[in-house]
Amino acid sequence: MTAAAHASQHAGPASRETAEPLLVTRDLTKSFPVRAGMLSGRRGEVRAVDHVSIEVWPGETLGLVGESGCGKSTLGRLVLRLIEPTSGSVLFRGRDVAALSRAELKAFRKRMQIVFQDPYASLNPRMTVGEALEEPFVIHGVGTRAERRERVTELLHRVGLTPEHASHYPHEFSGGQRQRVGIARALALDPELIVADEPVSALDVSIQAQVLNLLADLQRELHLTMLFISHDLRVVRHMSRRVAVMYLGRLIEVAPTATIFSAPAHPYTRLLLESVPDPDPRRRRRAAVPVGDVPSPIDPPTGCHFHPRCPLAQERCRVEAPGLTPRGPEHAAACWANT
Amino acid sequence: MSAHAKPVATQASPLLQVEGLSTWFPIKKGVFRKTVGHVRAVDGVDLTIEAGKTLALVGESGCGKTTVGRSILRLIPARAGRVLFEGTDLLALARDELHPYRRKLQIVFQDPMASLNPRLRVREIVSEGMRSFGIGASDAERGERVAALLERVKLDPRHMTRYPHEFSGGQRQRICIARALAVEPELLICDEAVSALDVSIQAQILNLLRDIQQELGLAYLFITHDLGVVRYLADRVAVMYLGRVVEHGDTEALMAAPQHPYTQALLAAVPTIDPTGARRVVPVLGDVPSPANPPAGCHFHTRCPKVFDRCRAETPPLYPVAHGDSRCFLSDPAR
Repeated sequence: MTAAAHASQHAGPASRETAEPLLVTRDLTKSFPVRAGMLSGRRGEVRAVDHVSIEVWPGETLGLVGESGCGKSTLGRLVLRLIEPTSGSVLFRGRDVAALSRAELKAFRKRMQIVFQDPYASLNPRMTVGEALEEPFVIHGVGTRAERRERVTELLHRVGLTPEHASHYPHEFSGGQRQRVGIARALALDPELIVADEPVSALDVSIQAQVLNLLADLQRELHLTMLFISHDLRVVRHMSRRVAVMYLGRLIEVAPTATIFSAPAHPYTRLLLESVPDPDPRRRRRAAVPVGDVPSPIDPPTGCHFHPRCPLAQERCRVEAPGLTPRGPEHAAACWANT
Repeated sequence: MSAHAKPVATQASPLLQVEGLSTWFPIKKGVFRKTVGHVRAVDGVDLTIEAGKTLALVGESGCGKTTVGRSILRLIPARAGRVLFEGTDLLALARDELHPYRRKLQIVFQDPMASLNPRLRVREIVSEGMRSFGIGASDAERGERVAALLERVKLDPRHMTRYPHEFSGGQRQRICIARALAVEPELLICDEAVSALDVSIQAQILNLLRDIQQELGLAYLFITHDLGVVRYLADRVAVMYLGRVVEHGDTEALMAAPQHPYTQALLAAVPTIDPTGARRVVPVLGDVPSPANPPAGCHFHTRCPKVFDRCRAETPPLYPVAHGDSRCFLSDPAR
């Protein structure tokens, strides 16, 4: 269906040499202005995304993980150009997204879609699901009315719903079914890239597993490329070929999924892994607990942002921010201690 | 709780014993808001909590776990059953008789921001309960106690003059815990107390709760949807589905060898980070049915991979199994 169809989810580095990344961000930065106090009027800024460079290869899922305020959702929105970057660039198939004309941008939007956390908030309550699914075709002037209807039926099947569901309103669906509708809508225009922003975080665990498996199946069948954003490492492991970890706006580690979980290089990644509550009886019961709170993104620590909570912090970490350095095949981490 | 209670149980009566608790909510329809039926949010629940121990109450949205917690505290009225706290039935008490028990049972909610008055300083928030129960002779003495409590939950006592919005989510939950501890409770009900927190903060709060329990000998009813956090704290687990406890028993044994097909399915559906574990999760079939109109017989039969005819017709009782009990005909010894 797309030029990326030859690349599978688990394409290794070998097949990369012939391909180019579908999506590249270069030193992507987004600052938001903030008022320091209610009355002071003094303004500062939050650097929500701080010089982040990632590559997403055709057909792969890159998991983007981090805690609240780390900038992962902002990065997703920058990639889709839902918000404009402060500096840096987003390249889609080698083209700078910021340089696109209005007409080009519309075509570009067809190729990238987003699935949000809360399908209820992202579906118009006054539209039937059939109408909601047909809308993208209408906006982009695709097909005749009959063709569009047929495509809606196909989409419903694809996500495990039935054609009868087309005449129902969003409130008549369960949370899991609504997320299926959200996914169907994202798939409507045959996108190449899907940004999934916490797509299962609001769902119960039994339903969450259904939606995760659906996404994984769709990705394989349609050779989709996915940026999968989540705070939940368990879910990210399940979905991703590679994982990128963010902390206070910065990318601190990126590696193939197996490496992240078996040999993480950054102390923050390790602490995150230790903190995950896991019902597996083979794992230790008590977590090694990171010290302190996540600092405010308005006033992040100097040097390496993680140094106040880091068990390995040295003098250098307080002063100088480490850049990402290679640690192995497709593996890079930003840490002075573990080089 | 039942005839097959484990012999390891203490001789003394349990701290809290819930028997046949039912809480129904009316379904109202029409202009005159006529009651046309009931949602059996909690439908005949038995629970036992020993002093100083933790019982986790686990289940998905709408299973009734939160309603159990609130019914125990009489924040919502139960329809039937008994809540025996140190032998006294809380549901049978008059309001003024209940007051002293409000001190012995405290609750920590999921969202600390919603449960802290934004116009009060931390000092006032934490000392409010003490004043109400006559703890501490003077404001100065209560102030000292507030400082000690803040230290216990690992907050800086100098921050007692600050307002809730000046704290992070994790710190606010610490304030809620300090407030609950201020009146020296014997049972703390934690209702999704760590669910809204980031994973690194969640681990801190779980460890704090565990340390406090060891120090003070508190008992916990730990209500959660997350099977992962259960293992950190709970001695025993009760799994709820559509208003009923479907499996109950010793945490480690239950997690290692769940007997009820619902518990098995729930555990299989949790993705794991164990590098040797399977990457594919096993979903539970279909959606959770509406609690307003639950399936006949065993409520889980519509989603159960092991369903047979009897499950559709009859409600299974709790049968004894190795680690506790399971509400499934597969565990029927007569089978």
